[in-house]
Amino acid sequence: MADINEIFNNPNNYVNRELSWIEFNYRVLGEARDKSLPLLERIKFLGITASNLDEFYMVRVASLKDMVHAKYTKPDIAGLKPGEQLEKISEKTHELVALQYSTYNRSLLPALKQNGIQVIVNHEDLNEEEGNFADNYFERDVYPVLTPMAVDSSRPFPLIRNKSLNIAALLKKKSGEEELEFAMVQVPSVLPRIVKFPKKEGEEQKVILLEQIIERNMGSLFLNYNVVTASPFRVMRNADLTIDEEEAVDLLEEIQKQLKKRQWGEAIRLEVEEKIDKGLLKILKRELTISSSDIFLISGPLDLTFLMKLYGVKGFEHLKAVPYVPQQVPELMNEDDIFTNIRKGDILLHHPYETFDPVVNFVKAAAKDPEVLAIKQTLYRVSGNSPIVAALEEAADNRKQVSVLVELKARFDEENNINWAKKLEKAGCHVIYGLVGLKTHSKITLVVRREEDGIRRYVHLGTGNYNDSTAKLYTDFGLMTCNPQIGEDATAVFNMLSGYSEPLQWNKLVVAPIWLRARFLKMIRRETKNAKAGKQAHIIAKMNSLCDKDIIAALYEASCAGVKVQLIVRGICSLRAGVPGLSENITVRSIIGNFLEHARIFYFDNDGSPELYLGSADWMPRNLDKRVEIMFPVEDEDLKERIIKVLLIQLEDNVKSHILLPDGTYEKPDRRGRVQRNSQEDFCEEAKLLVKAELKKLNPQASRVFIPNEGQS
Amino acid sequence: MAIKIFAAIDVGSFELELGIYEISVKNGINKIDHVRHVIALGRDTYNNGKISYELVEEMCSVIRDFAGIMQSYKVIGYRAYATSALREAKNSQIVLDQVRVRTGIEVQIISNSEQRFISYKAIASKDAEFSKIIEKGTAIVDVGFGSMQVSLFDKDALVSTQNLMLGVLRIREMMADVQVSAKMQNTLIEEMVDNELYTFRKVYLKDRQIKSLIGIGESILYLSRGSNGGKAVERITAEEYGEFYEKLLKMSVEGIQERFGVNAEYAALLVPAAIIFKCVLEITGADMFWIPGIRLCDSIAAEYAEETKAVKFHHDFSEDILAASRNMAKRYKCHGPHTSIMEKYVVDLFDSMKKYHGMGKRERLLLQIAAILHACGKFISMKKPSESAYNIIMSTEIIGLSHMEREIIANVVRYNGVEFDYSRMHLNEELFRNTKGELSKEDITILMAKLTAILRLANSMDRSHKQKLSDSRMNVKNGQLLVTTSYEGDITLESVSFSQKAEFFEEIFGIRPVLKQKRRLT
Repeated sequence: MADINEIFNNPNNYVNRELSWIEFNYRVLGEARDKSLPLLERIKFLGITASNLDEFYMVRVASLKDMVHAKYTKPDIAGLKPGEQLEKISEKTHELVALQYSTYNRSLLPALKQNGIQVIVNHEDLNEEEGNFADNYFERDVYPVLTPMAVDSSRPFPLIRNKSLNIAALLKKKSGEEELEFAMVQVPSVLPRIVKFPKKEGEEQKVILLEQIIERNMGSLFLNYNVVTASPFRVMRNADLTIDEEEAVDLLEEIQKQLKKRQWGEAIRLEVEEKIDKGLLKILKRELTISSSDIFLISGPLDLTFLMKLYGVKGFEHLKAVPYVPQQVPELMNEDDIFTNIRKGDILLHHPYETFDPVVNFVKAAAKDPEVLAIKQTLYRVSGNSPIVAALEEAADNRKQVSVLVELKARFDEENNINWAKKLEKAGCHVIYGLVGLKTHSKITLVVRREEDGIRRYVHLGTGNYNDSTAKLYTDFGLMTCNPQIGEDATAVFNMLSGYSEPLQWNKLVVAPIWLRARFLKMIRRETKNAKAGKQAHIIAKMNSLCDKDIIAALYEASCAGVKVQLIVRGICSLRAGVPGLSENITVRSIIGNFLEHARIFYFDNDGSPELYLGSADWMPRNLDKRVEIMFPVEDEDLKERIIKVLLIQLEDNVKSHILLPDGTYEKPDRRGRVQRNSQEDFCEEAKLLVKAELKKLNPQASRVFIPNEGQS
Repeated sequence: MAIKIFAAIDVGSFELELGIYEISVKNGINKIDHVRHVIALGRDTYNNGKISYELVEEMCSVIRDFAGIMQSYKVIGYRAYATSALREAKNSQIVLDQVRVRTGIEVQIISNSEQRFISYKAIASKDAEFSKIIEKGTAIVDVGFGSMQVSLFDKDALVSTQNLMLGVLRIREMMADVQVSAKMQNTLIEEMVDNELYTFRKVYLKDRQIKSLIGIGESILYLSRGSNGGKAVERITAEEYGEFYEKLLKMSVEGIQERFGVNAEYAALLVPAAIIFKCVLEITGADMFWIPGIRLCDSIAAEYAEETKAVKFHHDFSEDILAASRNMAKRYKCHGPHTSIMEKYVVDLFDSMKKYHGMGKRERLLLQIAAILHACGKFISMKKPSESAYNIIMSTEIIGLSHMEREIIANVVRYNGVEFDYSRMHLNEELFRNTKGELSKEDITILMAKLTAILRLANSMDRSHKQKLSDSRMNVKNGQLLVTTSYEGDITLESVSFSQKAEFFEEIFGIRPVLKQKRRLT
């Protein structure tokens, strides 16, 4: 047994999460390279890979750099020390960036030109008329907001803002002195990066990037100088970020001790054009104290996130995928109010195929309903003008008890969160600003309503955030129910979040950080036991990331016992799939489609009486140990069936899915001789069909066929 | 709406608890919300005799939050009871005053016997099987933080109930200074518990057959918890419990924390609790152990439901109080035909005077108990039975009665034998300030006078202890209470005594009692 356990725990059998993440970004890049997609969709995907990579650097790489500075040398799940990880990351990301730009230059730019959008790469290529337009634009709109900065003995090298795009230049005095001086100017982020030239009838739409216009007019910024060379550059720092919460507590302590040693604002990545003047690069490198491995020589425009803006350029809708309109939910297509509909039976919502409106309406209706006593909700990453927040305010106005747990620790939008949280508090809501040491990631809403036969609790549980904008892009499940046992648990969850002791027992919900991990391990081991006893054993699990060591070890063990394990993991996967003697019964696929796969679904065969759970947690240490997460069972047989069908269709997807190979790379499945199956498209179609069927039921004349009612009603 | 929403607050030794309940005739009592906040009031009280300022502060802020929750459910009523930690704290009056001023919540201290008693109501409301179980010998064992209570049921009636100073927190605090290994400590606890229980068995249990044990109280709720937040155990055999106990003793504190989902402080209390239940199972020889999962809040709700008649109980709880009193009378060898006829007389007098005395059901019960116990003093001393009876009653807990009620009974019994003196009335008032059903001293005096008058008159009616007037009829007419008997023998003794007591009776009720012997004309 001992050696078997050693195999399960051997670092060689795990993949470093950062490297696995880079693999994920490669898969997204794959979408940009997929010629079967509409052109602007490909453009958008390339933009996404760029913004993904930015976030990766700011959070993950910054964190690893901190570890190196703190001399923290604990190896990760795959046995790599922070320094070693950084080396590999540098190598891999350089390759990734090279592929990004070859995609951009060789494939996308020509395709854009073919389709009537010409990106003028170099300002030197402008003709006279265009040049005049650019110069006018510069003078009128750009020049007033620029702040050119020179460096000399009296003016030190300026602090360059994180993620900002700048143009560096070497200047030479017109008076003829030989010495070169360094100067720079920030490309203003308040102006659009893409500048459109006036379109002429029958000609292509020409555009140029803002930095090209500035570069062209560099001379007018430094009047007494000649510009010898100028080139854009972009710096990424680990300045304004705290330590990523995913790291171990001992690391945090270590870093706190070593706080003084931490180099605030240290540059961790420098992007420059590959044709940059050697001398200029040398100055940047020296002033930013950045090592060569963190410098990216780019063959194209820096910061490709502008491509997401290009996606939005008007007049080229034909180059995009036909936008999908989230469909109505058949169970709600009637005159009854939402509470009545929930009382008829649990309602499953499949976003974005089905609209998120019912969730918003649920809160809105509760805010107005005179019988509602209380509304409680956890909010995390809410959209700016959220109708939910407005409804909660209204509820407080209507003297309902409104408790909201606002998670401020949501990455990058703390400020936004604080603003509306304050607003809620003013309106009279009871606002809890997160929990000490824990991030609240669960998505749950509880409405307490006084009815004829007593208090009834309506609960919405979801796998996605209460964000009506992302609900159009993220695939998620939501469940609306008034099951008293779930209601009781929901009340207990909010009591716990308000600081009261844990409930004496849970009926249905499984809550992290205390119970969830143990429950998952128990359910995986139950399958293992069943497999060993010769019974059928099967796990299907879908999530965003998988990198928890205990869980992976348990899955390896299950695989060895003969449990069939089918995983659908969109992003990071530290598990090795299909390795003989370790995981030959495990398959992993990643679906990268137009919508962001976001639902977490867990299916356990349980010797023929299957259990199905939805939840907010990934199989990551942070989700299981550092967050408040909720997993809930779906017990209604029809709904269970529906979700299992979703899983099976995703497992059959051969258009948007990528299969993890034993060597850690992914490849698209072999489609020869098979029907194409794009699961996301299938779900779109199905949602439409369901609505049609429901409409037919509501309006029997439409079919021109009379349907005899043979039931005794 | 036939559904009432009620809030119950338990100010316990270890936790503050709020339960919100729906109460209806149709569906009984349903808990719809329940919050707990750990605060070791008992630690302060048991160690220093007082509750510290910091804890009062914390307590007020939690109770204020409770009030908010109550409001959000729009409750129509609440009861807030405090138990041993406050009961025993010297500064309880000040603490409760602070709570009242700062939170608007009136917290009442309930006596141990009341506390235990209402938990029976909760058990009865929880399971229809209750009445079935108590048909055979049953012991209800309630292990709290400060003390434990053992109540014996036989043939559907409460036989005896005793309070033992064996609370888990108390034991833990006692052991805190003993520097021995954990194993040794457990042995010590076991010895101590065994010793107390041995006395209990000798005096009260004797050869009663105990078939099942009903376990209530905080600690058993934790012990019965399922692992990983799962369902709790409800029924377990003595044998299974034994296995469980062995396993528990081998667990580390960390292991206990994880298995039962409790914090370290709580974990340390679970072993003493397990020891107590093991010892009780052993000495009673019960083979079934039922854990109905009752908490004090549930009990408070059950009591409220019963009193407001929102829920119907099959079990008659007043009967339990009477049964316990009769058992006590038996112990002091005063339960005989005289006592039985006294019970009848006082009730008859009470009922026929209903229009004139203005007392209710509860007072009737007190009167009945006073009648049952009126002669218990003779067991100690024939010379000064009144004083002895007073002392016996004052030092014996009667389940279901508050301190104040017990003191009323003790006084009524005392003044049955000695002159009633309005001004020299002695009461331990401070004991029942802020307690449930609190009355002013004046009201208590009047109540005692009324009860005494009836008891005395009843006693005179059986002066000869021969139940001569057992067929008497009573009615009030023209300012007279006419007691008519058709007894044909000599009733001189009764007559003389009757007219002696009649004076006091008239003084109290303004109605003159008259005893008439109906003679046959021929």
